Amino acid sequence: MMTLRGYRVVPFALGLGTLILLIAAMELLIRAGVVNKFIVPTPSQIGGAFSRVIAEEDIPHRFLVTAREAFWAAVLLVVFGIGIGVLLYRVQLLRAATETWVAAFASAPTVLMYPLFLVIFGRSEKTIIMMGFIAGLPAVILKTIEGLSGTRRVLIDVGRSFNLTEFQLFWKILFPAALATIFVGLRLGMIFALINIVGVEFLINFGGLGQLINDLAERYDLAGTYAAICFVILVSVVFFFLTDRLERWLRPAA
Amino acid sequence: MPTASQISSLSERRASAASPLLVVDDIVKRFATPEGEVTAVDHMSFEVRAGEFLAVIGPSGCGKSTLFNIIGGLLDGYEGRVTVAGEIVRGPHPSIGMVFQEESTFPWRTVSENVAFPLEIAGMAKTERMARAQHFIDLVGLSGFDKRYPSELSGGMRQRVAIARTLASEPKILLMDEPFGALDEQTRLLLGDKVLQIQHQLKQTCLLITHNITEAVQLADRVLVMTYRPGQTKRMVPIELPRPRSSEIVSSDAFGRYVAQIWGDLREEASRGMRDDEQHVAERKS
Amino acid sequence: MAETGRLTAPAAPFVGPVTLVRVAIIAAVLVIWEAVAASGLLFRDVVPSLLVIARALVELLTDPSYYFNLGVTAGEIGTAMLIGGLAGLAVGILLGANPLLASAYEAFLYYLGPTPKIIFFPVMIMWFGVGPGSKIAMGVISCFFPVALSAAAGMRGIDRVLIRVGRSFRLTTWQMVTKIYLPAMRMPVINGVRLGLGVAIIGTLLAETKLSNKGIGFLIINAYSTFNMPRMYALLIVLFVLSIGVNALVGRFGGVETRKT
Repeated sequence: MMTLRGYRVVPFALGLGTLILLIAAMELLIRAGVVNKFIVPTPSQIGGAFSRVIAEEDIPHRFLVTAREAFWAAVLLVVFGIGIGVLLYRVQLLRAATETWVAAFASAPTVLMYPLFLVIFGRSEKTIIMMGFIAGLPAVILKTIEGLSGTRRVLIDVGRSFNLTEFQLFWKILFPAALATIFVGLRLGMIFALINIVGVEFLINFGGLGQLINDLAERYDLAGTYAAICFVILVSVVFFFLTDRLERWLRPAA
Repeated sequence: MPTASQISSLSERRASAASPLLVVDDIVKRFATPEGEVTAVDHMSFEVRAGEFLAVIGPSGCGKSTLFNIIGGLLDGYEGRVTVAGEIVRGPHPSIGMVFQEESTFPWRTVSENVAFPLEIAGMAKTERMARAQHFIDLVGLSGFDKRYPSELSGGMRQRVAIARTLASEPKILLMDEPFGALDEQTRLLLGDKVLQIQHQLKQTCLLITHNITEAVQLADRVLVMTYRPGQTKRMVPIELPRPRSSEIVSSDAFGRYVAQIWGDLREEASRGMRDDEQHVAERKS
Repeated sequence: MAETGRLTAPAAPFVGPVTLVRVAIIAAVLVIWEAVAASGLLFRDVVPSLLVIARALVELLTDPSYYFNLGVTAGEIGTAMLIGGLAGLAVGILLGANPLLASAYEAFLYYLGPTPKIIFFPVMIMWFGVGPGSKIAMGVISCFFPVALSAAAGMRGIDRVLIRVGRSFRLTTWQMVTKIYLPAMRMPVINGVRLGLGVAIIGTLLAETKLSNKGIGFLIINAYSTFNMPRMYALLIVLFVLSIGVNALVGRFGGVETRKT
């Protein structure tokens, strides 16, 4: 992933400027009739819909619903993701047998199981949370294993030279050394989870922000749909940005 | 044949003289490699007396790190015995403190948390162990850096933290494996000064594994020259340079003579090592 | 006395412990499944008997309409990968080669990447209609980002000296791309393509479950609405096997080393 070293003025201005230019161009093209205004509303209409949607559609409540689902998915990821990761690390045989399965699972379209979960859990938050959890699970497990097994040999030697017990060796050396990587795994897992949570909300028309988009689309509220999509993107970007910063803040100490 | 009374007075005299702190007795260590069995250490025996600084020097691949790991108790499956303060070493021994060649500070702990680590393991209370750790941080010359993280320090400073951490466990003998290997020559000399100061102050017994002749002569009371694999004792050279020493000694004539003498022995072994390497590469190609 | 001569490893057992553990795990899962199916603990048909699922699988694989729908989905994904992959590659190479453009625009890709693309589906429908067009569009916007980001990173990772070699031979831009850039960044690009393929499959299929009358996604949601659980399981099994298989194939094609466990 690329690192943004500080914010140099010229590129930032270039990027922002291009965005503004594109928005302005869209506005003009649509008003001029070049682009069909029944397919793409003007940016100004979308902007207007923004405040309307926020006022009428109870955004804070919806946001909390999605956040709550994300929270429970996160809890499940921490408990089962890290737990299974530690287990696989400790039991070599199990790890050798199942690690490739977990990796294969990571590339499988697990979210396509949502109809199955609809049958099992119904149109409820449980379905959404489970889909998020499953989506993020392989990443957390794999990164936990990677972090633990990637501990530098010499640090383990230091522990052994001080005659640490197995328990002490794990908690005072292996786990802290692995924490940075484990956090990367959790962040990755949460990103996958969130994508799936919002996606499934949209698909099953239940829940918070994802459901809002589906709702507005079915009501043929064009500007509203676009505005809601922009809003969800904004939330996703902020979440991603904040966790990115958090990860970098944790990194130097670990 | 000495009489019974003569024998007992002999042993009494031996006992009254400083009995060796560390006894390495006839160590043989072999490894199975894809190319067959390799003898890393071949019947090595030596002693280290209390308060003494012994340097073990040898060419790369001579088995010095194997020796380090055996004495430190991290390696087993060898013949022979290592005894420290009368006890046989069967695993990492509390009387032996190890300083490793690679970066070994805990990156997630501050300097003082790193140094306090052995005290934390020993169950010392927090305020007490932090204060105690500060003593060792001052000793290695890092006062004021106690709240920093290792990533904020230079390589040389990090090695000092590692040394302080090991010293904090107050080992009877400090076992070091090329701790300054990754550093430049000037830093090495200055850190060597630091080590000399510490050793003088604490009267610490030290065993240093190195391939650097200047370092060995600068720091040690005796230098054990190892042969190339299989590692054996080639020569034990007593270094009769005055103590307390500083890095200025490096420019003296006596120093130069010791270095020349040791290099004479070492060069032979190092050449053997090089020819061996070339032969291995040639064999692998065909 | 040290023995000279080579040490030979003992002959590897025919069935290693790893294989045994795997077989044991699979067997345990199947047994538990069948037990739950037989006990009727969960309401009927949510956990159908293995035999029933096996039968549904056979029915599926012998059903010509399945292959038709598979073809539709495969076509959509293939087209999406082609369009999105090439666009991603082009953009990624451009950004990777030009630090100014990269620092201006790559952030957009980086931050837009991890967003749920399915929410764009209503817009895709408006733009491309309810047919395959909108599904392909979903696939395109899904796979564009991972490919572009991997390509940009791959470009930056190329050993600078190779670029100087190309310049010293006065290669044209096209030659630079095909003879130097692409071969040099094969690994990151293959990984980006694998990632892109994964998300393209997801994007396309989810779109099919939402609004379609063709394709594997349609078949799955159809099985749901007719409560044909054995068929749904059969479809999911086939889907997983195919996507994991294709993913592995792409990796093998790219020469990715499977990690030794």
